[in-house]
Amino acid sequence: MRVGVLCSRVRVEEKLIFQALRDRGVDGERIDVNTTALGLSEGVNGYDVVLVRCLSHSRALYASKLLGDNGQRVVNVYDVIATSGDKLLTSLALAKRGVPTPRTRVAFTPQTALEVIEQMGYPVVLKPLNGSWGRLLAKINDRDAAETILEHKHTLGGYQHSIFYIQEYIDKPGRDIRSFVVGGEVISAIYRHAPHWITNTARGGEATSCPITPQIEHISRGAAEAVGGGVVAVDILEAPDGRLLVSEVNHTPEFRNSIAPTGVDIAARIVDYALEVAVMEPGR
Amino acid sequence: MQERGVEYERLDERHLALQLQANGLVEEYDLIWCRAISHSRALYALSVLNSWGIRTVNSYQVVLTCGDKVSTSLALIQHNVPTPRTVVALSAEAALQAIEEMGYPVVLKPAVGSWGRLLSKVNDRDTAEAVLNHKATLGGPLHSVFYVQEYVDKPSRDIRTLVVGDEVVYAMYRHSAHWITNTARGGEALPCPLSPEIEELSLAAAQAVGGGILAVDLMETADDRLLVNEVNHTPEFHGAMEAVGVDIAGKMADYVLQLVGWSGGPWSGGQESLSTIRPSGHLTNSGGGLC
Repeated sequence: MRVGVLCSRVRVEEKLIFQALRDRGVDGERIDVNTTALGLSEGVNGYDVVLVRCLSHSRALYASKLLGDNGQRVVNVYDVIATSGDKLLTSLALAKRGVPTPRTRVAFTPQTALEVIEQMGYPVVLKPLNGSWGRLLAKINDRDAAETILEHKHTLGGYQHSIFYIQEYIDKPGRDIRSFVVGGEVISAIYRHAPHWITNTARGGEATSCPITPQIEHISRGAAEAVGGGVVAVDILEAPDGRLLVSEVNHTPEFRNSIAPTGVDIAARIVDYALEVAVMEPGR
Repeated sequence: MQERGVEYERLDERHLALQLQANGLVEEYDLIWCRAISHSRALYALSVLNSWGIRTVNSYQVVLTCGDKVSTSLALIQHNVPTPRTVVALSAEAALQAIEEMGYPVVLKPAVGSWGRLLSKVNDRDTAEAVLNHKATLGGPLHSVFYVQEYVDKPSRDIRTLVVGDEVVYAMYRHSAHWITNTARGGEALPCPLSPEIEELSLAAAQAVGGGILAVDLMETADDRLLVNEVNHTPEFHGAMEAVGVDIAGKMADYVLQLVGWSGGPWSGGQESLSTIRPSGHLTNSGGGLC
């Protein structure tokens, strides 16, 4: 059994994955995405499965496509990365499968975006379609803010930044929920506490264990399935009226801060799933 | 220029390739009047022309100072011209701290820019964080020079004056329901009486940045003070001509001609100013307009 781990930087997460592979007596090899060139009809040879752990969404996207199309088994597959790496495609996939998600509208010009925001009512959240770690999220509380943020995106950003993704602001209780779904199973969940409305642990949110209630299990599995399964982290918001809403799905989750609170060995579960994929019968 | 009988040429700065080693154009023009819309083009063209010894309106130094809000504010403060409280921060973190200390609302402005573009009125911390983050992430290095200014609650208008040399040619109100009052953004121009205070402040502001042909933006505070907000080095005045009924272009032309020793007044033929015509029929009093 040979397992490749495609990445550039080896973060804590990748180290844990290599350790879990060693624990299972499996050769884990780092494939450095910085020095690997992929062809259109040849992949990387000799791996039973390749874990795509690139930091960069674009690299993960195209690497998984090139590898997958050449018959290489990959975790995650291209479709999962393509869908969950784009907030608009994620929202569409969630809505299509009936997974509750915040009210969202998309506008293509600053003028229309401003109209949409005014109709929706303040506060709203503006998010870039791509991006992680809570970067460039904007909570818009009034028209002055809306005007200037839209102008900055439109003037300073590339074309992608003029696709305005506008979402109702959910007044969550100083925390959100992140659940980890691996191969259709909800393996663990944490609360991310933060006084700030952006609760990413990468931005200082504190993690505690969150019991996997039937509701959390249901919505997490639904969200993972909506984007195509694999290994994903699902971000869930608790609305003031008690509803759970999925805000995002992450295809290459960081999990270093999510192990201690629950004791669930996330790296081990990812590796076990990858090893299953490696020996899966074709067509599954 | 035509009315004054002056030979002039339009130089399109987009077609200029200035040979730095050659001392070009110096024989050809007595003065070059720069009306380039692009600040960067104006700045660099004037840098070359002035270093060649060609006289320009405005000068490179003036454009350098006016084109950068940090430099403008510094010049105003050095000359004791009242201007809003301003902090410059060189990182998003420092800017956020400065904003919190100043108290909301504040205004964030790009150091370089005009027509009210990318001005932000920041009413709360959420907005501050988002705007700073967008500037730092999406903008070039200049957008991480954060120019933070107290918000002046002006009476739905500001005042724009035009200074030509040592004369304030006109003052006008720019009315707007929006806090950004630029006429380029829909502000309405109406005549404003030229009070001694407005006149004095306008001249002081113009002098602070080095003088020439300059538009000065003034704000009226809630407690009746006047503050100089900006000084513009290449003012647009087509909106103002009708509002104030002054021949602005004529005033400007007279000032420019006076700089090159033109004896003044419309040329009516046969006067002594024509003695500068060379036997070949060329005017030495020729001007170039860079636009």
